[in-house]
Amino acid sequence: MADINIVDVGIGNLASLCSALQKLNISFKLCETTNDFQNNSKIILPGVGAFGNFMKKLNERKIDELIIEKVNKKKSVLGICLGFQILFSDSTEYGKHKGLNLIKGNIIKINLSTRVPHVGWNECVFNQNSEIFHNVKNHSDFYFLHSYFLETYNNEEVVTYTNYGINFPSSIQKENVFGVQFHPEKSQYNGLQVIKNFVERC
Amino acid sequence: MLKKRLIISLTFNDGILFRTKKFHPDYRYTKNFVDLWTADEIILLDVSKKNKLNKKFLEIVKYFSLNCFVPISAGGGIKSMKDVSLLFKTGVDKVIINSSTYKNPNLVKKISKSYGSQAVIHSIDCKKKPDGNYTVMVNNGRIDTNYSPTDWANIATENGCGELLINNIDNDGSLLGYDLDLIFSITNKFDCPVLGLGGAGNWEHIYQLFKITNVSGACTQNIYHFTNESLKSAKSYLKNKQILIRE
Repeated sequence: MADINIVDVGIGNLASLCSALQKLNISFKLCETTNDFQNNSKIILPGVGAFGNFMKKLNERKIDELIIEKVNKKKSVLGICLGFQILFSDSTEYGKHKGLNLIKGNIIKINLSTRVPHVGWNECVFNQNSEIFHNVKNHSDFYFLHSYFLETYNNEEVVTYTNYGINFPSSIQKENVFGVQFHPEKSQYNGLQVIKNFVERC
Repeated sequence: MLKKRLIISLTFNDGILFRTKKFHPDYRYTKNFVDLWTADEIILLDVSKKNKLNKKFLEIVKYFSLNCFVPISAGGGIKSMKDVSLLFKTGVDKVIINSSTYKNPNLVKKISKSYGSQAVIHSIDCKKKPDGNYTVMVNNGRIDTNYSPTDWANIATENGCGELLINNIDNDGSLLGYDLDLIFSITNKFDCPVLGLGGAGNWEHIYQLFKITNVSGACTQNIYHFTNESLKSAKSYLKNKQILIRE
């Protein structure tokens, strides 16, 4: 059995996540259908592309139901970037689309005086302690690449905030559901530490 | 706060690292000497003359995606969604579109619909005409589009590109500094992140670019900047001058 099952619906760049896991000596399996998932593995839900299109692909393969079932059975899930956004109730990207609704919250387009998309290295500031940031210093830089962000949320579930014109939640934890808006697989040592923490501590 | 990015831009011809000036190959340097940990981002450009994606270039892209944990953007000769999909599968985070927009402006639109606008950088190669106005060149500077940089950037952003990469091709490899007027004319008019390229000779050039133009990132193609020591020294220079930079 692999430590990690990676959700793979055929879009975007999984190569970087795979090479990060290899670097950390963490075993993983790419899962394209529900049959590919293993009983005791943790799940990483990476995501590139548009919200609605991604949800549609999960739904066609019934992977959405499987993730919810795994979460109910106390398996840990980590959503990355769009995979983070998918954890919430809905998004307004290209029309209104429902998410997995594992955590209550709404995703909307960044509508600020700042440049959009939000691209580059920005700081994560702790709102509370979480195992996912074990051995990571407060105010560490992570790489962000997104045009939409979490607008409504429950402050008690926010692990870190990031400032881009406003403070928005850059990572979240609700029991065994974890999510990061940034790309840990692109954030060098800090990012690798976050991935390691998820596998070893979450 | 969001940090300013220091971006390494590497140009390859048939898998060999090129210095951009006059496109002479430099066999003394290979991809292996590039420090992968201090750069904030890496741009890989293919200038091989071909009709399809160069195999050796794809191997280079793969090498970087396996060995560095920073964002990688790649481009040069992208003509179709098939090329785009292949690059994403090989490990790039963003694709760079340039000449294809001349014949097929829809490609940028298609990519942004499928992968999101944050996944597309539009590169704009500019040249100053004798009358002082700028024109946009495509096909490695061989074809004059007769479009102004602003008009071209409008087309690119309306089609959904997420970032603009602005280059004065006459400054490329000159080491005389960035074309600040040109780059400012774009950062001033557009709301997406803008990257400046072409002409970085020293740290002061990079500082001037950040100070005057409000770019999100400075690209350097100067191979002498690609080592750990020099990138660190660039960052401490910029930090001392109050530029917000990732250490």
